[in-house]
Amino acid sequence: MGGFDRKIQKFWTYFYEYGGYNDVLIGLRNTLLIAVIGLVIGVVIGTLIAAVRVMPKEKKATGILNSICDVYVSFFRGTPMVVQLLLAYYVLLPLLGLNFSSLAVSITVFGLNSGAYVSEIMRSGIQSVDPGQMEAGRALGLNFVTTMTRIIVPQAVKNILPTLGNEFIVLVKETSIVSFVGTADLYKAFNDMGTNSYEFMVPYIVMALIYIVLVLVITFMVKALERSLGKSDRRS
Amino acid sequence: MIDAVKLTKRYGELTVLDEITEHISAGEKVVIVGPSGGGKSTFLRCLNCMEEPTSGEVIFDGKLVSYIDPYLHDDLIAVSATCKKLVANGMNKKDAVEKIKAEKLLRKNEGGEFKTAYKHLEKEICIDLNIARRDIGMVFQHFNLFNNLTVMENLTLAPVHLKIKTKEEAEAKATELLHRIGLYDKKDVYPSTLSGGQKQRIAIIRALAMDPKVMLFDEPTSALDPEMVGEVLELIKQLANEGMTMVIVTHEMGFAREVATRMLFVAGGKIAESATPEEFFDHPKHPRLQEFLSKVIKN
Repeated sequence: MGGFDRKIQKFWTYFYEYGGYNDVLIGLRNTLLIAVIGLVIGVVIGTLIAAVRVMPKEKKATGILNSICDVYVSFFRGTPMVVQLLLAYYVLLPLLGLNFSSLAVSITVFGLNSGAYVSEIMRSGIQSVDPGQMEAGRALGLNFVTTMTRIIVPQAVKNILPTLGNEFIVLVKETSIVSFVGTADLYKAFNDMGTNSYEFMVPYIVMALIYIVLVLVITFMVKALERSLGKSDRRS
Repeated sequence: MIDAVKLTKRYGELTVLDEITEHISAGEKVVIVGPSGGGKSTFLRCLNCMEEPTSGEVIFDGKLVSYIDPYLHDDLIAVSATCKKLVANGMNKKDAVEKIKAEKLLRKNEGGEFKTAYKHLEKEICIDLNIARRDIGMVFQHFNLFNNLTVMENLTLAPVHLKIKTKEEAEAKATELLHRIGLYDKKDVYPSTLSGGQKQRIAIIRALAMDPKVMLFDEPTSALDPEMVGEVLELIKQLANEGMTMVIVTHEMGFAREVATRMLFVAGGKIAESATPEEFFDHPKHPRLQEFLSKVIKN
């Protein structure tokens, strides 16, 4: 394994002495930014879409909103995220004559894409809440939106937290595609290091380890959140 | 206080309520009994529009809480395009209105004048459902306490959010109500830690915290263990004695007899009998009620 020692040595040189760790830190920051803000946008959009889905269907406006949501969800679930990223950055931006950083575009696309998935997660969460909860709220004179935000969604979120954590993990890992539009993420930092040193083995192993650690930390945090939100279930 | 006018509820082909017209006065304690599937719960739930009536109207305190049923408003029919057409064909206006009512001839679009008249009528007689519901307390079979909120939050959420009371006032009222039912020590726990009887009593005071003018009870003891039925009925009786207007759907015949000022027997989507408890239990007239009572009392 003498050769492997040399590879590690080479990696360390590029990582530490040539300042590769800077790129890794920036990459890590961007990866987390994209995943976290993406998830927040996703949850907001997803909740709105889910609310539209469970609204009473009689009104015409609800029907129109429903169709819009249908198209939205079909598009974002029906095309790969790479394609959405490329379309946004190389087609939509030039067409609209806008000039956003590739990071901003990545965050937006991740948010919009995640929204489509979260909407289905959220809908199942909302439907898992006893319909009696909505009835009780409405019977007291609270309107649909208030009952939704104060009663239903908090209970729904608690029910879907494990699935939502899963979505977050998927987002973190999916960030490895943003280098397609030139965003400096974790993958790009290590890949550049490999390209510069003609030595890919160690950088990729380290990269994998960092992803694993990230996911384990997220898993731990979701579990902790689950416990603290579960307090209304515990019998004292 | 509550008027149901030709209240009809259909689920597809199934008619659950068939043109029920009923008046409930202030101070009355109306107990509704009847065979399951007869429409008693649906009738109750229509009174605060938890179920939207298919046709007919619900009037609370002189204000319409359901949608306008155009067939109940002759003036409205008179300005419809259909009516004008009939009159143009030589029919007398009054007959035309009657014909439209009898044959349900109104269509989706009845012209601008009809629309204007409808809007005008809406402004005049309708009250926002969410406003009306503040005065109509409802207690459910399955309690439906808000699982994500503590007992105190359950009691104060609606009054505070709807700005009926300040937080302090709402908490003072909730404290008073909790003391009354002997559950003040439970104010900071979540509903999952309570027994069924405790949940239902808290559900009752949650409705009371809004200072309602009328209370609707939808089989309030049906989901309870037998040993907990008593404490819930006791609380309802107390409220009755204090003069609260109530409409109660229940299977507890002894309780019904004790608390009711009037009994309704709902079967087959109609009110088959309406009588004082004495008349109702001792001299039932409708054969269906006689049969029902003989079965229920035997048990």
